[in-house]
Amino acid sequence: MSDLLKVTGLAKDFGRKKVLRDLSFTLEPGRVYGFLGRNGEGKTTLARILMGVIPATRGALLFKGEPITYGSSIYKRGIGYIPEDSFFYGGMRVAEFLAFNSRFYPRWDAARVRSTFESLGFDRRARIQTLSRGQKLQLGFVAAVGAAPDLLVLDDPTSGLDVPTRRDFLRGIIRDLAERGTAVLFATHMVHELERVVDHLYILHGGRLILDRGFEDIKTLSRRVRLRFDGEAPDKLPLEGVLSLRREPGLLEAIVFPWDEAAESKLRSLSLTDIEVEPLSLEDIFEGFVGSSPAQPEVK
Amino acid sequence: MIPIDPTSFIPLYEQVKSGLRREIALGSYKPGSPLPSIRDLAAALLINPNTVARAYGELERDGLITTRKGRGCFVSEDFGTLPGKDTVKRLDGIFETAVREARKTGAEPSEIRKVFEDRLRSVFAEPGKRRTS
Repeated sequence: MSDLLKVTGLAKDFGRKKVLRDLSFTLEPGRVYGFLGRNGEGKTTLARILMGVIPATRGALLFKGEPITYGSSIYKRGIGYIPEDSFFYGGMRVAEFLAFNSRFYPRWDAARVRSTFESLGFDRRARIQTLSRGQKLQLGFVAAVGAAPDLLVLDDPTSGLDVPTRRDFLRGIIRDLAERGTAVLFATHMVHELERVVDHLYILHGGRLILDRGFEDIKTLSRRVRLRFDGEAPDKLPLEGVLSLRREPGLLEAIVFPWDEAAESKLRSLSLTDIEVEPLSLEDIFEGFVGSSPAQPEVK
Repeated sequence: MIPIDPTSFIPLYEQVKSGLRREIALGSYKPGSPLPSIRDLAAALLINPNTVARAYGELERDGLITTRKGRGCFVSEDFGTLPGKDTVKRLDGIFETAVREARKTGAEPSEIRKVFEDRLRSVFAEPGKRRTS
Protein backbone atom coordinates (compact mmCIF):
# COMPACT_ATOMS: atom_id res chain seq x y z
CA MET A 1 0.00 0.00 0.00
CA SER A 2 2.58 2.53 -1.07
CA ASP A 3 0.01 4.57 -3.00
CA LEU A 4 -0.43 7.93 -1.39
CA LEU A 5 -3.52 8.69 -3.40
CA LYS A 6 -5.59 6.29 -5.44
CA VAL A 7 -8.37 7.60 -7.63
CA THR A 8 -10.68 5.17 -9.43
CA GLY A 9 -13.37 5.96 -11.98
CA LEU A 10 -13.79 9.56 -10.89
CA ALA A 11 -16.54 11.49 -12.66
CA LYS A 12 -18.09 14.89 -12.07
CA ASP A 13 -21.17 16.37 -13.72
CA PHE A 14 -22.34 19.92 -13.31
CA GLY A 15 -25.95 19.58 -14.33
CA ARG A 16 -25.81 18.08 -17.80
CA LYS A 17 -22.22 19.09 -18.36
CA LYS A 18 -19.83 16.20 -17.84
CA VAL A 19 -16.61 17.85 -16.73
CA LEU A 20 -14.78 14.72 -15.60
CA ARG A 21 -15.89 11.49 -17.24
CA ASP A 22 -13.62 8.74 -16.00
CA LEU A 23 -10.35 9.41 -14.22
CA SER A 24 -8.19 6.76 -12.61
CA PHE A 25 -4.67 7.38 -11.36
CA THR A 26 -2.39 6.79 -8.40
CA LEU A 27 0.20 9.06 -6.82
CA GLU A 28 3.28 7.94 -4.89
CA PRO A 29 5.33 9.92 -2.38
CA GLY A 30 8.25 12.07 -3.49
CA ARG A 31 7.21 12.52 -7.08
CA VAL A 32 5.90 15.39 -9.15
CA TYR A 33 2.79 14.68 -11.20
CA GLY A 34 1.87 17.11 -13.93
CA PHE A 35 -1.77 17.48 -14.88
CA LEU A 36 -1.84 19.39 -18.12
CA GLY A 37 -5.07 20.52 -19.63
CA ARG A 38 -6.48 23.51 -21.37
CA ASN A 39 -8.56 25.98 -19.42
CA GLY A 40 -11.95 24.49 -18.66
CA GLU A 41 -10.83 20.86 -18.79
CA GLY A 42 -11.60 20.28 -15.12
CA LYS A 43 -8.27 20.76 -13.37
CA THR A 44 -9.77 22.99 -10.68
CA THR A 45 -12.74 20.64 -10.34
CA LEU A 46 -10.34 17.76 -9.73
CA ALA A 47 -8.40 19.76 -7.12
CA ARG A 48 -11.60 20.73 -5.32
CA ILE A 49 -12.87 17.18 -5.20
CA LEU A 50 -9.52 16.07 -3.75
CA MET A 51 -9.86 18.69 -1.03
CA GLY A 52 -13.39 17.55 -0.18
CA VAL A 53 -14.75 20.97 -1.17
CA ILE A 54 -17.19 19.62 -3.75
CA PRO A 55 -18.62 16.11 -4.11
CA ALA A 56 -17.70 13.69 -6.89
CA THR A 57 -20.57 12.36 -9.01
CA ARG A 58 -19.01 8.89 -9.19
CA GLY A 59 -15.79 7.18 -8.31
CA ALA A 60 -13.60 6.44 -5.33
CA LEU A 61 -10.75 8.44 -3.86
CA LEU A 62 -8.42 6.98 -1.26
CA PHE A 63 -5.79 9.07 0.50
CA LYS A 64 -3.40 6.89 2.52
CA GLY A 65 -6.05 4.20 2.33
CA GLU A 66 -8.86 6.35 3.69
CA PRO A 67 -11.73 7.62 1.56
CA ILE A 68 -11.98 11.28 0.64
CA THR A 69 -15.59 12.35 0.64
CA TYR A 70 -17.43 15.63 0.30
CA GLY A 71 -16.98 17.68 3.42
CA SER A 72 -14.47 15.27 4.93
CA SER A 73 -11.57 16.85 6.72
CA ILE A 74 -9.05 14.35 5.41
CA TYR A 75 -6.93 17.20 4.06
CA LYS A 76 -5.98 17.95 7.65
CA ARG A 77 -4.04 14.73 7.70
CA GLY A 78 -1.81 15.77 4.92
CA ILE A 79 -2.99 17.55 1.79
CA GLY A 80 -1.82 21.09 1.16
CA TYR A 81 -3.62 23.15 -1.43
CA ILE A 82 -2.53 26.23 -3.34
CA PRO A 83 -5.33 27.45 -5.59
CA GLU A 84 -5.12 29.76 -8.57
CA ASP A 85 -7.06 32.50 -6.87
CA SER A 86 -6.16 32.93 -3.27
CA PHE A 87 -9.30 32.95 -1.20
CA PHE A 88 -7.65 34.85 1.58
CA TYR A 89 -9.65 37.02 3.88
CA GLY A 90 -8.41 40.40 2.73
CA GLY A 91 -8.94 42.21 5.97
CA MET A 92 -6.91 39.71 7.96
CA ARG A 93 -3.33 40.45 8.84
CA VAL A 94 -0.61 38.06 7.69
CA ALA A 95 0.13 36.79 11.21
CA GLU A 96 -3.57 36.32 11.93
CA PHE A 97 -4.01 34.36 8.74
CA LEU A 98 -1.18 31.98 9.68
CA ALA A 99 -2.52 31.56 13.22
CA PHE A 100 -5.97 30.90 11.73
CA ASN A 101 -4.51 28.18 9.48
CA SER A 102 -2.51 26.62 12.29
CA ARG A 103 -5.74 25.73 14.09
CA PHE A 104 -6.95 23.59 11.19
CA TYR A 105 -3.94 21.37 10.86
CA PRO A 106 -2.85 18.97 13.60
CA ARG A 107 0.62 18.66 12.06
CA TRP A 108 1.21 22.43 11.80
CA ASP A 109 4.95 23.09 11.74
CA ALA A 110 5.33 26.47 13.41
CA ALA A 111 9.12 26.47 13.25
CA ARG A 112 9.07 25.81 9.55
CA VAL A 113 6.47 28.49 8.97
CA ARG A 114 8.61 30.97 10.89
CA SER A 115 11.79 30.18 8.96
CA THR A 116 10.07 30.10 5.57
CA PHE A 117 8.26 33.27 6.36
CA GLU A 118 11.39 35.11 7.46
CA SER A 119 13.08 34.41 4.15
CA LEU A 120 10.26 36.19 2.34
CA GLY A 121 10.77 39.48 4.07
CA PHE A 122 7.36 41.01 4.29
CA ASP A 123 5.55 42.44 7.25
CA ARG A 124 3.61 40.06 9.48
CA ARG A 125 1.28 42.89 10.41
CA ALA A 126 0.38 43.78 6.81
CA ARG A 127 -3.23 43.28 5.81
CA ILE A 128 -3.60 40.63 3.14
CA GLN A 129 -5.47 42.96 0.82
CA THR A 130 -2.40 45.20 0.63
CA LEU A 131 -0.15 42.38 -0.62
CA SER A 132 0.75 41.91 -4.27
CA ARG A 133 -0.41 38.76 -6.06
CA GLY A 134 3.13 37.39 -5.84
CA GLN A 135 3.21 37.97 -2.08
CA LYS A 136 -0.19 36.32 -1.67
CA LEU A 137 1.15 33.30 -3.53
CA GLN A 138 4.17 33.18 -1.22
CA LEU A 139 1.90 33.43 1.78
CA GLY A 140 -0.26 30.64 0.36
CA PHE A 141 2.89 28.57 -0.02
CA VAL A 142 3.94 29.20 3.60
CA ALA A 143 0.49 28.17 4.81
CA ALA A 144 0.44 25.07 2.60
CA VAL A 145 3.85 23.75 3.67
CA GLY A 146 3.13 24.77 7.25
CA ALA A 147 0.58 21.99 7.27
CA ALA A 148 3.48 19.56 6.64
CA PRO A 149 1.53 17.87 3.85
CA ASP A 150 2.30 14.53 2.23
CA LEU A 151 0.61 15.77 -0.90
CA LEU A 152 0.70 19.29 -2.23
CA VAL A 153 -2.02 20.16 -4.73
CA LEU A 154 -1.11 23.13 -6.93
CA ASP A 155 -3.90 24.46 -9.08
CA ASP A 156 -2.24 26.76 -11.59
CA PRO A 157 -1.01 28.96 -8.76
CA THR A 158 1.54 30.89 -10.82
CA SER A 159 -0.81 31.78 -13.63
CA GLY A 160 -0.42 35.44 -14.54
CA LEU A 161 2.65 36.08 -12.39
CA ASP A 162 6.01 37.29 -13.63
CA VAL A 163 8.91 34.94 -14.29
CA PRO A 164 11.03 35.77 -11.18
CA THR A 165 8.02 35.26 -8.91
CA ARG A 166 7.19 31.98 -10.60
CA ARG A 167 10.77 30.79 -10.28
CA ASP A 168 10.93 31.72 -6.58
CA PHE A 169 7.75 29.77 -6.04
CA LEU A 170 9.08 26.77 -7.92
CA ARG A 171 12.31 26.90 -5.89
CA GLY A 172 10.26 26.72 -2.70
CA ILE A 173 8.42 23.67 -4.00
CA ILE A 174 11.70 22.01 -4.98
CA ARG A 175 13.16 22.55 -1.51
CA ASP A 176 10.06 21.12 0.11
CA LEU A 177 10.23 18.14 -2.21
CA ALA A 178 13.90 17.54 -1.34
CA GLU A 179 13.44 18.00 2.39
CA ARG A 180 10.18 16.21 3.00
CA GLY A 181 9.58 13.95 0.03
CA THR A 182 6.20 15.53 -0.59
CA ALA A 183 4.22 14.32 -3.58
CA VAL A 184 3.15 17.18 -5.80
CA LEU A 185 0.10 17.28 -8.02
CA PHE A 186 0.80 20.21 -10.31
CA ALA A 187 -2.22 21.12 -12.42
CA THR A 188 -1.54 23.74 -15.03
CA HIS A 189 -2.04 24.83 -18.61
CA MET A 190 1.45 26.33 -18.73
CA VAL A 191 4.28 24.00 -19.56
CA HIS A 192 7.42 25.89 -18.72
CA GLU A 193 7.70 25.28 -15.00
CA LEU A 194 6.28 21.81 -15.36
CA GLU A 195 8.88 20.81 -17.90
CA ARG A 196 11.65 21.38 -15.33
CA VAL A 197 10.22 19.28 -12.52
CA VAL A 198 7.66 16.79 -13.75
CA ASP A 199 8.25 13.05 -13.15
CA HIS A 200 4.99 11.78 -14.53
CA LEU A 201 2.58 13.47 -16.88
CA TYR A 202 -1.16 13.28 -17.29
CA ILE A 203 -2.99 15.15 -20.01
CA LEU A 204 -6.61 15.90 -19.19
CA HIS A 205 -8.83 16.30 -22.21
CA GLY A 206 -12.52 15.81 -22.76
CA GLY A 207 -12.98 14.64 -19.18
CA ARG A 208 -10.44 11.83 -19.51
CA LEU A 209 -6.73 11.29 -19.04
CA ILE A 210 -5.59 10.89 -22.62
CA LEU A 211 -1.96 10.50 -21.56
CA ASP A 212 -0.60 8.74 -18.48
CA ARG A 213 3.13 8.19 -18.74
CA GLY A 214 6.54 8.90 -17.24
CA PHE A 215 7.83 12.17 -18.61
CA GLU A 216 11.12 10.74 -19.79
CA ASP A 217 9.28 8.14 -21.88
CA ILE A 218 7.14 10.86 -23.33
CA LYS A 219 10.16 12.86 -24.43
CA THR A 220 11.91 9.80 -25.81
CA LEU A 221 8.88 8.56 -27.72
CA SER A 222 7.50 11.69 -29.34
CA ARG A 223 8.65 13.18 -32.62
CA ARG A 224 7.66 15.64 -35.28
CA VAL A 225 8.20 14.19 -38.74
CA ARG A 226 8.23 16.13 -41.97
CA LEU A 227 7.84 14.11 -45.15
CA ARG A 228 8.31 15.45 -48.63
CA PHE A 229 6.83 13.79 -51.68
CA ASP A 230 7.55 14.14 -55.34
CA GLY A 231 3.92 14.26 -56.31
CA GLU A 232 0.77 14.38 -54.21
CA ALA A 233 1.17 13.65 -50.50
CA PRO A 234 -1.00 10.78 -49.24
CA ASP A 235 -4.08 11.55 -47.10
CA LYS A 236 -2.80 9.67 -44.12
CA LEU A 237 0.17 7.80 -42.78
CA PRO A 238 0.41 4.04 -42.29
CA LEU A 239 1.25 4.52 -38.62
CA GLU A 240 -0.28 4.15 -35.20
CA GLY A 241 -0.14 7.16 -32.96
CA VAL A 242 -0.34 10.01 -35.45
CA LEU A 243 -1.57 12.76 -33.13
CA SER A 244 -1.81 15.50 -35.68
CA LEU A 245 -1.29 15.80 -39.37
CA ARG A 246 -0.74 18.91 -41.46
CA ARG A 247 -0.88 18.60 -45.21
CA GLU A 248 0.54 20.92 -47.84
CA PRO A 249 1.27 20.29 -51.50
CA GLY A 250 4.01 17.68 -51.52
CA LEU A 251 4.44 17.81 -47.73
CA LEU A 252 3.08 16.07 -44.66
CA GLU A 253 3.94 17.12 -41.14
CA ALA A 254 2.90 14.84 -38.31
CA ILE A 255 3.32 14.63 -34.57
CA VAL A 256 3.79 11.00 -33.64
CA PHE A 257 3.59 9.23 -30.28
CA PRO A 258 4.84 6.63 -29.60
CA TRP A 259 7.74 6.83 -32.01
CA ASP A 260 10.20 3.99 -32.58
CA GLU A 261 12.52 2.56 -35.19
CA ALA A 262 9.76 0.46 -36.69
CA ALA A 263 7.75 3.64 -37.28
CA GLU A 264 10.72 5.23 -38.95
CA SER A 265 11.37 2.31 -41.27
CA LYS A 266 7.67 2.19 -42.19
CA LEU A 267 7.83 5.82 -43.23
CA ARG A 268 11.09 5.35 -45.11
CA SER A 269 9.43 2.62 -47.16
CA LEU A 270 7.02 5.20 -48.62
CA SER A 271 8.13 6.89 -51.81
CA LEU A 272 9.53 10.00 -50.21
CA THR A 273 11.98 12.56 -51.42
CA ASP A 274 12.94 13.60 -47.90
CA ILE A 275 12.22 12.84 -44.26
CA GLU A 276 13.03 14.98 -41.24
CA VAL A 277 12.55 13.70 -37.71
CA GLU A 278 12.88 15.98 -34.73
CA PRO A 279 12.23 15.76 -31.00
CA LEU A 280 9.53 17.83 -29.36
CA SER A 281 9.32 20.16 -26.39
CA LEU A 282 6.56 19.64 -23.87
CA GLU A 283 4.73 22.57 -25.42
CA ASP A 284 4.69 20.79 -28.80
CA ILE A 285 3.70 17.51 -27.21
CA PHE A 286 0.82 19.12 -25.33
CA GLU A 287 -0.37 20.80 -28.50
CA GLY A 288 -0.05 17.52 -30.37
CA PHE A 289 -2.31 15.79 -27.88
CA VAL A 290 -4.97 18.44 -27.41
CA GLY A 291 -4.54 20.34 -30.66
CA SER A 292 -7.33 21.29 -32.99
CA SER A 293 -7.45 17.98 -34.86
CA PRO A 294 -11.08 16.78 -34.75
CA ALA A 295 -10.57 13.13 -33.83
CA GLN A 296 -8.70 12.74 -30.57
CA PRO A 297 -6.91 9.45 -30.26
CA GLU A 298 -6.87 7.92 -26.82
CA VAL A 299 -3.42 6.92 -25.77
CA LYS A 300 -2.75 5.09 -22.60
CA MET B 1 27.27 26.59 -13.70
CA ILE B 2 25.56 23.64 -15.32
CA PRO B 3 23.46 24.61 -18.31
CA ILE B 4 19.96 23.14 -18.26
CA ASP B 5 17.68 23.19 -21.25
CA PRO B 6 14.30 21.75 -20.27
CA THR B 7 13.06 21.92 -23.86
CA SER B 8 15.90 19.71 -25.10
CA PHE B 9 15.00 16.08 -25.62
CA ILE B 10 18.17 15.08 -23.78
CA PRO B 11 16.83 13.93 -20.42
CA LEU B 12 17.51 16.39 -17.63
CA TYR B 13 19.48 13.86 -15.57
CA GLU B 14 21.80 13.38 -18.57
CA GLN B 15 22.24 17.12 -18.79
CA VAL B 16 23.12 17.28 -15.10
CA LYS B 17 25.52 14.35 -15.48
CA SER B 18 27.36 15.82 -18.43
CA GLY B 19 27.40 19.23 -16.78
CA LEU B 20 28.97 17.80 -13.63
CA ARG B 21 31.45 15.76 -15.66
CA ARG B 22 32.48 18.90 -17.45
CA GLU B 23 32.81 20.93 -14.25
CA ILE B 24 34.90 18.18 -12.70
CA ALA B 25 37.04 17.82 -15.83
CA LEU B 26 37.60 21.57 -15.87
CA GLY B 27 38.64 21.50 -12.22
CA SER B 28 35.73 23.54 -10.83
CA TYR B 29 35.33 20.70 -8.33
CA LYS B 30 38.68 19.20 -7.28
CA PRO B 31 39.24 15.57 -6.32
CA GLY B 32 38.06 14.99 -2.77
CA SER B 33 36.09 18.21 -2.60
CA PRO B 34 32.38 18.31 -1.80
CA LEU B 35 29.67 18.67 -4.41
CA PRO B 36 26.52 20.68 -3.78
CA SER B 37 23.81 18.81 -1.89
CA ILE B 38 20.99 17.37 -3.95
CA ARG B 39 18.62 19.90 -2.46
CA ASP B 40 20.85 22.90 -3.20
CA LEU B 41 21.71 21.85 -6.72
CA ALA B 42 18.07 21.11 -7.51
CA ALA B 43 17.01 24.49 -6.14
CA ALA B 44 19.81 26.28 -8.02
CA LEU B 45 19.05 24.59 -11.33
CA LEU B 46 15.28 24.72 -10.69
CA ILE B 47 14.82 21.06 -11.38
CA ASN B 48 13.37 18.07 -9.57
CA PRO B 49 15.60 16.72 -6.74
CA ASN B 50 14.88 13.21 -8.06
CA THR B 51 16.66 14.23 -11.26
CA VAL B 52 19.76 15.41 -9.39
CA ALA B 53 19.72 12.28 -7.22
CA ARG B 54 19.64 10.12 -10.33
CA ALA B 55 22.56 12.00 -11.91
CA TYR B 56 24.60 11.67 -8.70
CA GLY B 57 23.73 7.99 -8.47
CA GLU B 58 24.93 7.28 -11.99
CA LEU B 59 28.12 9.31 -11.58
CA GLU B 60 28.81 7.36 -8.43
CA ARG B 61 28.34 4.12 -10.28
CA ASP B 62 30.84 5.41 -12.86
CA GLY B 63 33.31 6.05 -10.03
CA LEU B 64 33.51 9.78 -10.60
CA ILE B 65 31.98 10.72 -7.29
CA THR B 66 31.51 9.04 -3.92
CA THR B 67 28.84 9.40 -1.28
CA ARG B 68 29.85 9.56 2.35
CA LYS B 69 27.04 8.69 4.71
CA GLY B 70 25.47 11.77 6.17
CA ARG B 71 28.05 14.05 4.63
CA GLY B 72 26.96 14.23 1.04
CA CYS B 73 28.71 13.72 -2.27
CA PHE B 74 32.37 14.27 -3.10
CA VAL B 75 34.51 14.12 -6.19
CA SER B 76 36.40 10.82 -5.99
CA GLU B 77 39.87 11.18 -4.45
CA ASP B 78 41.47 9.03 -7.09
CA PHE B 79 39.99 11.10 -9.86
CA GLY B 80 43.14 13.27 -9.84
CA THR B 81 45.43 10.28 -10.13
CA LEU B 82 43.59 9.09 -13.18
CA PRO B 83 45.41 10.32 -16.26
CA GLY B 84 43.38 13.47 -16.57
CA LYS B 85 45.62 16.30 -15.58
CA ASP B 86 47.21 17.24 -18.83
CA THR B 87 45.40 19.26 -21.38
CA VAL B 88 44.79 16.46 -23.83
CA LYS B 89 43.05 14.38 -21.20
CA ARG B 90 40.97 17.30 -20.10
CA LEU B 91 39.91 17.97 -23.64
CA ASP B 92 39.10 14.32 -24.05
CA GLY B 93 36.80 14.47 -21.03
CA ILE B 94 35.05 17.53 -22.40
CA PHE B 95 34.57 16.17 -25.89
CA GLU B 96 33.54 12.72 -24.89
CA THR B 97 30.52 14.23 -23.20
CA ALA B 98 29.88 16.62 -26.06
CA VAL B 99 30.11 13.96 -28.73
CA ARG B 100 27.87 11.57 -26.83
CA GLU B 101 25.29 14.29 -26.47
CA ALA B 102 25.65 15.21 -30.12
CA ARG B 103 25.13 11.62 -31.18
CA LYS B 104 21.81 11.52 -29.38
CA THR B 105 20.43 14.19 -31.70
CA GLY B 106 20.68 11.60 -34.43
CA ALA B 107 23.20 13.70 -36.36
CA GLU B 108 25.79 12.01 -38.56
CA PRO B 109 29.50 12.31 -37.63
CA SER B 110 30.03 14.58 -40.63
CA GLU B 111 27.33 16.97 -39.43
CA ILE B 112 28.75 16.98 -35.90
CA ARG B 113 32.23 17.66 -37.26
CA LYS B 114 30.95 20.56 -39.33
CA VAL B 115 29.15 22.19 -36.38
CA PHE B 116 32.25 21.67 -34.23
CA GLU B 117 34.57 23.20 -36.78
CA ASP B 118 32.29 26.19 -37.36
CA ARG B 119 32.16 26.78 -33.63
CA LEU B 120 35.92 26.36 -33.30
CA ARG B 121 36.47 28.99 -35.97
CA SER B 122 33.92 31.43 -34.61
CA VAL B 123 35.19 31.20 -31.01
CA PHE B 124 38.84 31.64 -31.99
CA ALA B 125 37.88 34.53 -34.25
CA GLU B 126 36.49 36.43 -31.26
CA PRO B 127 38.69 39.23 -29.95
CA GLY B 128 40.19 38.23 -26.58
CA LYS B 129 39.85 34.49 -26.88
CA ARG B 130 37.27 32.83 -24.69
CA ARG B 131 38.98 30.85 -21.97
CA THR B 132 37.62 28.07 -19.83
CA SER B 133 34.81 29.50 -17.77
